[in-house]
Amino acid sequence: MLIDFRFKALDPIRNHANWVLRPLEYIMMAPRNAYEVTSEYFTTRSTLEQENQIMKVRQAELSLLANQSEFLLIENQNLRELMSLQKQVSFETLPVEILFNPPNPISQRIVINRGSNDGLKLGNPIANDAGILGQVVRLYERSAEVSLLEDRDFAVPVQVARNGLRAAVFGAGRGNPLELRYLPVASDLEVGDILLTSGIDGVYPPGFAVAVISKIERNADKNSSNVFCMPVAAVNRYRQALAFLYDPQFDAKAPIVSNKPSSGTPLTNNPGRRQTRARGMQ
Amino acid sequence: MIDIQSGYILRPVSPVFIYFSLFCALLLNFLPLGNFGWVPDWLIICIIFWNIHQHRYVSVFSAFFLGLMMDVHNSDLLGLHAFSYSLVAYIAISWHRRIITLPLLSQALHLLPIFLLVSLFPVLVHWLLSGELYWWALTGAIQAIVEALLWPLATHVLLAPQRRPIDVDHNRPL
Repeated sequence: MLIDFRFKALDPIRNHANWVLRPLEYIMMAPRNAYEVTSEYFTTRSTLEQENQIMKVRQAELSLLANQSEFLLIENQNLRELMSLQKQVSFETLPVEILFNPPNPISQRIVINRGSNDGLKLGNPIANDAGILGQVVRLYERSAEVSLLEDRDFAVPVQVARNGLRAAVFGAGRGNPLELRYLPVASDLEVGDILLTSGIDGVYPPGFAVAVISKIERNADKNSSNVFCMPVAAVNRYRQALAFLYDPQFDAKAPIVSNKPSSGTPLTNNPGRRQTRARGMQ
Repeated sequence: MIDIQSGYILRPVSPVFIYFSLFCALLLNFLPLGNFGWVPDWLIICIIFWNIHQHRYVSVFSAFFLGLMMDVHNSDLLGLHAFSYSLVAYIAISWHRRIITLPLLSQALHLLPIFLLVSLFPVLVHWLLSGELYWWALTGAIQAIVEALLWPLATHVLLAPQRRPIDVDHNRPL
């Protein structure tokens, strides 16, 4: 256990065992999938019609928004060029399917059906249509494990959509609300504020919804406030999601060896890519 | 071997059935039932059953190996289940003479602490490693209780092949 925790030396063993186990897991998922397929097949006509109606309205709204957003996107890029700011990075998405939720009393994870063969990288965010779900924490060839927002000490840098206040959302464990930590009492927060990813960590692309503030407890004596939020995306409901193959260009690169003596700066604490890895056991 | 409950002499066990049942329990553990506290760990029931009844076939080593499989499936620290399964297998083997003579319900009661140890082991290890005890994670105790309740059923199912009569009279089936 300690060897695995400290050195990650047992990953080959894990990969090989996973290679053997994954087909068995697929076999055991067959009954559930068959049940879902049949229950979908036998949905009544009226529910389908209702769904269709809702979808049409939604599509009309979205296409209107999309037309506008194209215009806004171009305008934004042009303005950024005028201001000589760095351009927003575009990224590709990869549709993934959530396979199962491994039983574990401490952490909250899901296993998805895409892996390093499909171009997925360690640390890629996973989202569905509503917002961010989590982040890839372990990569196999054809599958990957994703740590969910609810996972204990899972941190996402966010921005309050209303006023741009930056903070970090932390997971608090299975079934517990998320927490917004490290904020002073006087900070301007309200119940119902939407938190978006701020993109300053270089892991999550900016502007995606993460959570909604559900409860605020202010205690003036400790000069801190406990802010609880609910994830926007239904973490344990849907089977389909999207992986963002996001590689920000403005992220700090690894230091180049030849430049070291000339720059003269202390090299010990170069800002690298920070990883949101939970403390303790994974 | 004598079946204490019925007093009959049991048929010899078939090793193929032992390994087949362990494999089935492993598959049952792969069922996507979700990450809930009440989902029983079928594999540990099966391992402990065979540890108590046939400890020559299913030893600490096989418990370790199956635990390793569960670690990979659960994406735990490699060795977490392997250690807890083999620890519990050792306890079960050293208790097997005492437990096998008890009636089924007291057997389940005796095995409850063993199941508790397995299901709370990840939380305890995490407590040792990081010094934080997650109280909400102690809902794993429900799993242990469900497993203890499943114990009589497991005994009936897993002993059934050995309880078959030796010479079946087809003219008079009873």
